[in-house]
Amino acid sequence: MWATNAKIVGIVLGTLALYTLIANEIPQVQSEVPQTLTLGANVTPEQLVAAGEKVFTGIGGCPTCHGLGTRAPNLLTDEKGQGPIGARCGKREPGKSCKQYLYESLDQPGAYVVEGYQPIMPVMTKQLSPAQVWSVIAFLESQGGTVDVTASDIPATSSTSTTPPTGGGGGGGGGGGLAGGSTDPKAIIQAAGCLACHKLEGQGQVIAPDLTHVGSRRDAESIRKKILDPASSVAKGYEKLAGIMPKSFGTMMNAQQLEALVQYLAAHK
Amino acid sequence: MTDSVLLLLQAAADTTHAYGEFPVIGARQFIWITAEVHLMFAAFVLGVPMFAVVTEAIGIFGGDERYDRLSKEFTRLLLVAYSATAIWGAMLVFGLSTLYPRFWAYLTTIFAPSMWLYAALFFIESFTLYLYYYGWDRWKKGRAKLGHWTLGILLNVWGTIVMFIANSWLTYMMSPPRDITPTTDPTTIKLWHAIANATWMPINVHRVIANVVFGGAIVGAYASYRFLAARTDEERAHYDWMGYVGNFIAMSALIVLPFAGYWLGREIYQYDQSMGITMMGGFMSWLWVIQAFLIAVLFLTGNYYLWIGMGRIPGAERFRPYTKYLLIVLVLGAIVWGTPHTMIADSKELAAMGGSHHPFLGALGVMSAKNTAVNLMILTTFLSFLLYRRANTRPVVPWARTGTIIQGAMFAVAAAVVLFYGIRGYFVEAIVRIGFSVYQVLAVLSCIVFVTVIDILMARGAQSLGAIRWGKMPPRSQYALFILAVTFTWLMGLMGFARSGIRQYWHVWQVMQDTSKYAATPALGYASKMISLCVLIFLSLVAFVFWLGGLAEKSTFVATGDAEKGARHVGH
Repeated sequence: MWATNAKIVGIVLGTLALYTLIANEIPQVQSEVPQTLTLGANVTPEQLVAAGEKVFTGIGGCPTCHGLGTRAPNLLTDEKGQGPIGARCGKREPGKSCKQYLYESLDQPGAYVVEGYQPIMPVMTKQLSPAQVWSVIAFLESQGGTVDVTASDIPATSSTSTTPPTGGGGGGGGGGGLAGGSTDPKAIIQAAGCLACHKLEGQGQVIAPDLTHVGSRRDAESIRKKILDPASSVAKGYEKLAGIMPKSFGTMMNAQQLEALVQYLAAHK
Repeated sequence: MTDSVLLLLQAAADTTHAYGEFPVIGARQFIWITAEVHLMFAAFVLGVPMFAVVTEAIGIFGGDERYDRLSKEFTRLLLVAYSATAIWGAMLVFGLSTLYPRFWAYLTTIFAPSMWLYAALFFIESFTLYLYYYGWDRWKKGRAKLGHWTLGILLNVWGTIVMFIANSWLTYMMSPPRDITPTTDPTTIKLWHAIANATWMPINVHRVIANVVFGGAIVGAYASYRFLAARTDEERAHYDWMGYVGNFIAMSALIVLPFAGYWLGREIYQYDQSMGITMMGGFMSWLWVIQAFLIAVLFLTGNYYLWIGMGRIPGAERFRPYTKYLLIVLVLGAIVWGTPHTMIADSKELAAMGGSHHPFLGALGVMSAKNTAVNLMILTTFLSFLLYRRANTRPVVPWARTGTIIQGAMFAVAAAVVLFYGIRGYFVEAIVRIGFSVYQVLAVLSCIVFVTVIDILMARGAQSLGAIRWGKMPPRSQYALFILAVTFTWLMGLMGFARSGIRQYWHVWQVMQDTSKYAATPALGYASKMISLCVLIFLSLVAFVFWLGGLAEKSTFVATGDAEKGARHVGH
């Protein structure tokens, strides 16, 4: 019976090993959490194209339909003798540049359904951040055309991130939020408009308490509480301004952003 | 803004208390293992009672006590398996509450009443099981036996409701109602609104069927072990028959499982197209190639077992020449089904291929070809069963020849319908093509139903060409049953990874993000190692359960001196 038992164990382990081996031999694709990517004012076309390719093949999921020749037009390869998308996008709609056409196709996909295909494309500007959208446009332009997307095309509040706009809010620690989900505290402060009332490192107004040394007055817990519930405490000397600070910051940021901002301010001793 | 929302926001912000860590293996791995092994045991304790109550019914209404004993033998194994299910479930709950406290608090805020009901039903279910098992010999005759059988039905009812409740929690994580956003106060979410989400019922149906498959496969593995360990011919015959019954049930349920899977897939696409794309064409696209390989193993091994089994049936030699053609269809179908199509690729790879798929293989990788392949594989497997079933009989009804011709015509028509819509699918738009799969499925199911009805009618008074020589099976046939059980279990782990993984970095899809260090969803290679580990843990524990079952009480097998009596039962 020991021989039979050994055979059974061998078959079980052998079967498991075979399946594991095959699963490890195929291409390995991990689904990453969207990373913050800096696309500053000096971003180059090459950087935009590289970022766009990642979005195109990654979170955008574009090859799922574009390239099969059945669900949607080929974009990276020839489509009915017209070349790849960069070579034909400028000729698709009279009076529209390639860039305009591509943006509108992503924003209103139902408006430019290519003949022979169904209107199945989702509105990508709802699924991707502006930075992601424009980097994808740059990538598509690079497919047989000229890249003319620049940093000026990307709205200021989102130019520092390619994090998608979905989710948001702190209720569940959502993924979107201010500044396109960036966890850069300065970008969050800029996007939230904190400096319209507060002063920090020599910038901003003095309507509300100066935040330059806020870390010496409040610990992280107190700062967090103040942001989430501004009415929970009022700084001495600013009693008359109680209630002016918006209560919505907690819902405008995700958990990571809130924590980044809290730690940043708490470090200002 | 209510206080509760503020508290929630604060809790959300406090990421230091959102997650715990488990020593050595890590928090995610701990949850992965406990959830997976718990689910496998749960499937076992849900699938086997279905098996038990059906076999008990066959015993009662068919007058064959062997089925009754078979049913009792498996119910005995359930006693220990229930404990194992509860232990792993408790480990999972403790893990969630200590390693993912923020997420767990969110879930309990919404689902607390259903969790209380779950616990109460598990309690009731356990005591129903005790009554069912310990009352077996006391309520053995007449109306008392029917009452006992009713207990078995109740056991299944409680178990199914328990599963439905647990399914509502995990499907909420996948497909929370669209009006629920990250800022929705969970205390304001109506319980039924959260339960009745888009994927709840498709998962329920899919899991009920899958549990039957799983139960049958585990029964088959148990029987094959006992067969190999048997000391007498009669015992070997008994467990040979039991293995056949287990395999028959597993394969029969497997045939309808893909249809439930299609429904679930469609609901996922309708709920959120991007989630569907992630599942079928995104980073999980290679997973379906592995799934196709596993399904191919199931079909080939299941048919192989049947074909070997025909060696113990007098008269089966008439059909043996056909098996090679059946094998060809199965292999070709598996190759087509496993053809990769929509894969994540970089621009260089895309350019090298001239598109998102290989110019030649791509034509085989689309759903038109795959649906055609799998439907033909199902038809072929059904034909194997039919040949097996008819192997030792010769129909004597006057219309036997006509009936056989009609059956053959039904197979031909079903195959023609499948092929026609498969080919036509290449020439129509996607929205039309999707509808074709319904016609293909209907053709196959209709063929199965009508051919079976004709066969049952034709088998009336059929001349026997000799009794089945139960127990006269080579050991390799029993090892095939082991491969089936391992493959079913591994497939369950793989599909669990697919279902859970498509949420990617969200605890609750687009409502609550995973901000832990384990937020990224691992690649298939890593997942396969975790799945294999879980399967190994589960099978080791099941082997221990089987051993305990044998230790506590001798097998319910009783030598009847008529080991061939099973020739007229399931499948015969």
